[in-house]
Amino acid sequence: MSKFWLRLDNAALIFPAVKRPGWCNVFRQSVSLREDIDPALLQEAANDLKPRFPSLYVRLRTGIFWYYLEEIRGPLTVGQDFAYPLTHMATKELHTCCLRILYYRNRIAVEFFHALTDGTGGMIFLKTLAARYIALKYGIDIPALDGILDIGQQPQPEEIEDSFLRYSGQHAMSRSEPNSYRLKGTHEKDGVRHLITGVLPTDKLVEVAHSYHATVTVFLVAVMAQVITEMQAKHAPNRRPKPVKITVPVNLRRLYGSKTLRNFVLTLNPGVDPQLGAFTLDDLCNGISAQLSAEAMPQIMAARIAANVIPQQLAILRIMPLFIKNLFLRMVYAYVGETKGCLNISNLGVVKLPEPMRPYVERMEFIIGVQYTYPNNCSVVSLGNATYVNMIRNIRETELEQRFFSRLVELGVPVTIESKLRGD
Amino acid sequence: MYCVKCGVRLTDGTERCPLCATPVWIPKNADIPKANYAYSSVYPKKKDNERFPAAIFLTIALAVVSIVCLIFCLRTYGAIRWSGYVMSGIAALYIIAVLPMWFRHPNPVVFVPISFIAVSAFLLYVCLYNRGDWFLSFAFPVVMLLGILTTAAVSLFRYVKGGKLFIIGGLLAALGASSMLIEYFEHITFGTKMFSWSLYSMSTFFLFGLFLILAGIIQSLREWLERRSFL
Repeated sequence: MSKFWLRLDNAALIFPAVKRPGWCNVFRQSVSLREDIDPALLQEAANDLKPRFPSLYVRLRTGIFWYYLEEIRGPLTVGQDFAYPLTHMATKELHTCCLRILYYRNRIAVEFFHALTDGTGGMIFLKTLAARYIALKYGIDIPALDGILDIGQQPQPEEIEDSFLRYSGQHAMSRSEPNSYRLKGTHEKDGVRHLITGVLPTDKLVEVAHSYHATVTVFLVAVMAQVITEMQAKHAPNRRPKPVKITVPVNLRRLYGSKTLRNFVLTLNPGVDPQLGAFTLDDLCNGISAQLSAEAMPQIMAARIAANVIPQQLAILRIMPLFIKNLFLRMVYAYVGETKGCLNISNLGVVKLPEPMRPYVERMEFIIGVQYTYPNNCSVVSLGNATYVNMIRNIRETELEQRFFSRLVELGVPVTIESKLRGD
Repeated sequence: MYCVKCGVRLTDGTERCPLCATPVWIPKNADIPKANYAYSSVYPKKKDNERFPAAIFLTIALAVVSIVCLIFCLRTYGAIRWSGYVMSGIAALYIIAVLPMWFRHPNPVVFVPISFIAVSAFLLYVCLYNRGDWFLSFAFPVVMLLGILTTAAVSLFRYVKGGKLFIIGGLLAALGASSMLIEYFEHITFGTKMFSWSLYSMSTFFLFGLFLILAGIIQSLREWLERRSFL
C-alpha cells in the first residue's frame, strides 16, 4: 500500500529551508483539564485522530527538488512534557514526526513544526484531541461543533488543500518595506526558552481596548509598539530611530472561507516610525487599526499571496536542486522574513468549546517559538474570561515583558504573572 | 501578592517577580504554599554519539577497499605499486574524516593539525616512492603553513568570544602574506619566476581582510554586512 504524502504548502516551503542546528520554527498549543492526564487514554485518543488528520501525522522528507511530508510509520507516541516549552525539534526528529503530543499533570500540549499547519489548524487538532480524550475518559458525547471535527468522517479534500494556490491573485504585490528596529539581549547558550505568562481578565481587556476604539489585537500591538519605541530611545539614544513594527499574522480562512487545516496565514507589519515624532497610545491605536484594515482585504491579500506563489511556480526554480533552492530561500528569509518586525503578536482570539466539554476544561494556551534573529515573541489566546498572553524569549533580559505588562497595569488592565525561571 | 515595582499580581508562593526580580515580601510565619510551577523538571536528553554506526561502517568499508587493492596489486605485480597510493590516501582520508566520528565532541583544535600531518605523510610517501626532491622544500612547508593558519582560525573561533570580523580579517591578511611564501617555496623548488601570481592573491586577500577589519570597527558597516550576509 502506497504511503500518503503531501507537497509542502506555499507558506511551509520556507520552514525546512531555514531551520538550523538549534532552531526551527515551531509553536505549541495546550489545554489544561480539571484532572491529571491518563497517558494511556491520551495515547488512544491520539491514535484515534490519525485517520482524520492525515496532514498532521506526517514526517519531513527530503526530495531532490522539494521537501515533502510523508505519513509517519506506526503510531505517534505521546510523551511527558519538558522543563520548558518548545524544546528544539532536531532534524532527526522532524524526519520521524513533525508533531509532538505531550502531557504533564492536567495538561495536554501539542507542539507543531510550522510546516504542518498554523495556529488555527493546530487549535482544531488540539480541541478535537481534547474532546476525544474527554469522551474516552468520562464517557460523554461531545458534538463536532465549534472547531471540533467528527473523527468518524473521512478527511475532506479542502482540509488538506494548499489554499494559497487556490486563492492567489494574478498580480503580485511588492514585499518591499523598511526594516524594523531589532530587539537584542544576552542569548541563552543552551537554547533554553523562558516563558512569562500574563493572565488578563478578558472583559477588562476588551473594555480598555474599546475605550481606545481598538480591538484587543490592535490595542496589544499598540502597547507593544509604544514600549519598544521607549526601549529604542533608551538603548540607542544617539542613533536615527528605526521604525517599530510588530508582525501580526492574519488568518486568511476568514477572508476567503477556506477550510484548510494547513498553513493559511499571512503576516502584516503595522507599526510606527519614531522619526516622525512622539505618538500617544490613542494615535498608535488609530494608526495601527487603519494599517491593518487597509491591508486585510481579500484583493490585497490575494496580491500578497501571489508574491509568494508566483516564484514557487517559476520553471527555473522548480528544476533547481533542493540544496540550491534552500540557499535561495534562506536569502529571501533573511531579506523579508525577520527584518520587517520587532516581534510577532499572534492572537488566536477567543476559543469556543461545545457546551458538554466546558466543565472539563480549565485553561488553554498558545505559545509561539522565538524567531532565529529576534529574541522575543508573543502569543495570545482567550478562554472564558481569561486571556493568556505568553511572552517567550531566548535571552536573559526581561525588560520587554516588564515594560509591557507594567504598561497594561497602568492602563487599567490587571495582570497576573506566571513564570518558571531557570533554577526555580 | 503583588510586585511593588511592576504592579502585576504574582501567583502565590512566588519568591521574586519574574519581570523585575524584585523580591516578594512574605510575612514571617505566613502559611503560603510553594509556587506550583506549570512545567516539569525534565530537560531534553543529551544525545548519544549518533555517528558511531557511520564510523563503524566507514572503517569496515575503507579497510575492505584497502585490502582488496593490496591483494589485487600483489597478485598482479608481486609488489606494492599503485595500491600504495590507495592505501596511504585512504589512511589520510580516514584520519581526516572518520577518526573524529569516534568522539562525541571532537575538538577541531586537535583534529585539524592531525589532519594536516596526515596529508603531509601522504605527500611524503608519494615523494619517496617517486624518488622526488620536492617534499622538504615545497610540500611540507606549504602544508604546514596552511595547517598553522587553519588551526589558528579554528582555535580563535572556538576560544575567543566576539571580534569575529577582526579574526577573519586578520586571517585573510595572513593568508595573503603566506601566498608570497608559497610562491617562494615554488621558486626554490621548481625554479619558477618569483612574483608571477602571489602579488595578485596577496592584494585581494589583504583588501578583503582590511574591509572586514573596518567592518569590525564601523558599527553601521558591520550591521549592513550582518544583515546582507545572513544565511
